Amino acid sequence: MTAQGWDPRGGRPPVDLRDVFERFRGRFAGQRMPLGGIGGIVVLVLAVLLLWSSWFTVQPEETGVVQRFGKVVRTVGPGLHFKIPYGVETVLLVPTARVLKEEFGFRTAVPGRRTQYSPRDFLNESLMLTGDLNVIDVDWIVQYRIDDPVKFLFQVREPVDTIRDVSEAVMRRIVGNRLGSDVLTVGRETVQEEVKLEMQKILADYETGVRITAVKLQDVTPPDPVKPAFNEVNEARQDKERTINQAQEQANREIPKARGEAARTIAEAQGYGLERVNRAKGEANRFQAILAEYRKAPEVTRKRLYLEALTVILPEAKSLYIVDADQKALIPWLSLDSGLKPAPAEKQP
Amino acid sequence: MTRAVRMAVVVLVILVLLVVSGAFYTVQEGQQAILLQFGKVVGDPITDAGLHFKLPFIQNVRRFEKRLLIWDGDPEEIPTKGREFIKVDATARWRIVDPRKFLESVATEQGAQSRLDDIIDSAVRSQVSGNELVEVVRSASWVTPEPEVLQEIPAEREEELKKKISLGREEITRAIVAEAEKVVPQFGIKLIDVRIKRLNYVQSVREKVYSRMISERKRIAARFRSEGEGDSAEVLGNMEKELRQIRSTAYRRAQEVRGKADAEATKIYGNAFNKDPEFYTFSRTLEAYKEGQNKNSVLILTTDSDFYRYLKEAVPADKRPR
Repeated sequence: MTAQGWDPRGGRPPVDLRDVFERFRGRFAGQRMPLGGIGGIVVLVLAVLLLWSSWFTVQPEETGVVQRFGKVVRTVGPGLHFKIPYGVETVLLVPTARVLKEEFGFRTAVPGRRTQYSPRDFLNESLMLTGDLNVIDVDWIVQYRIDDPVKFLFQVREPVDTIRDVSEAVMRRIVGNRLGSDVLTVGRETVQEEVKLEMQKILADYETGVRITAVKLQDVTPPDPVKPAFNEVNEARQDKERTINQAQEQANREIPKARGEAARTIAEAQGYGLERVNRAKGEANRFQAILAEYRKAPEVTRKRLYLEALTVILPEAKSLYIVDADQKALIPWLSLDSGLKPAPAEKQP
Repeated sequence: MTRAVRMAVVVLVILVLLVVSGAFYTVQEGQQAILLQFGKVVGDPITDAGLHFKLPFIQNVRRFEKRLLIWDGDPEEIPTKGREFIKVDATARWRIVDPRKFLESVATEQGAQSRLDDIIDSAVRSQVSGNELVEVVRSASWVTPEPEVLQEIPAEREEELKKKISLGREEITRAIVAEAEKVVPQFGIKLIDVRIKRLNYVQSVREKVYSRMISERKRIAARFRSEGEGDSAEVLGNMEKELRQIRSTAYRRAQEVRGKADAEATKIYGNAFNKDPEFYTFSRTLEAYKEGQNKNSVLILTTDSDFYRYLKEAVPADKRPR
């Protein structure tokens, strides 16, 4: 449980003994000799009042500090307790079991499930200088418990204001000793820890009786006018990553593809090679087979091959002129244009 | 008892009570007191809480705080040694250690606070204006940032970040206390410490700092973007290199394989056809004829050709019987 600040419930103004006598005197002076029926009732009422003001209750989260004539005589835990009445002993109740909280740079307006914050921003509290002489906006909270209620009450007059002052001073010193970018990012934890330790040390020196349980940074941001520029840096950083990733993606897409294509080119060449050699071997073998037979009867085979070839060729020709070898004057009157076409390129063997 | 006697008793009781009550006083925990006798301090200060005695009517009690007290000054605009105007809000802890001196010199807490205003304000002013801003902001434990952190910071400010801190905030506040300490004891006051609670630029300087921060950020943003472009160009360049390498290696290998095969084939053909080049030419030529490049052509053959010679004569001249 946390509570805002501290309110000395049950605290009573110090009572001067004179007032006590004053009261007694008033009671006796205004009365005739206190005997008889009415007097008995008065005594009874007085006795009840006496008892009534002799008891006090300490709540579970509290400690009661009992003072006798202003001097602390004892502290008591939760429960029902007796004290000497009529201002001789007075009690101050201190919420020692509660975790108390101080806020810096913001204020909780309505705590709850959906906490509402005060719309004002406390820039005086939250703006501070960083070690690189920039300005930063830091919101934080300090949680503390009252460890020693006697010290808390009687060593420092304004303990809560003291805690606030110390917290602001220490936070500024720690933040002032670091780079702004550090506080904004990785340095948060260290800042919290350092502030807590240093605050604890100072408050212990003051004997405030307070133990800091936590220092927590809330919003740590650049000042409002500078925020867009900070966001731009983040965007630029992401742009950088994105551009590089895009290039990397393109490389990842194209290189494996090129490798595949390269393998294909090589495989095709190997296929070509196999085909080429096989064809050569086949043709060579065929030639050698024919040659072997040709050598047995060269003249006849030669003629036969020639005539066979012509029987294939001649039917395919468009037109055929057979001219007597002695005829000389044929060419001039024969129209040749229709038959002449460029011969197709020689096929590969 | 007569009425007169009764009256006398009552008066006596009242008198006794008055005397007794005037002889007692309490000192609260956290308080201290001194006794004044006709306006003059008598005896030592009473620092124990509880019930105490005094001479009734003659002596009266003045109570003072024994607890730690706060001094909180107004924010002050002070130029540093480097001429930057900053707003400094200091706070201090003090306590009354000598109630007698305190009473004689400043009498009340208000009086003390206003004396402290003068003393501490002037000490703060002289210390802050005698030091550079960085000395007030940073502490002696300032460590120069790592080089990779400095990359984010414009070069002209690097110097300032590397600057050694000779005093630092703690030392400066100690100096403020020391300066004030020369004066405050005469008021019966002990100054426990002075702390700089808040420190900021004055409005006009703050705006300049903001625009400097903005331009710094923009520069960093631009650098990130161009780094991104540079890196991506490098990636693409490397990709291009690798692509070319892969493709050209493949081409080279393919050409080598083809060349080897061609050479092999050539060798095979050569070996075979060398056995009878003339017959090879003959048969290959006939093959070529057959392969059809004579399609649709006009052939003019004479009867001298082997194929048509028999059109003219059944028995050639050389075979005729003589």
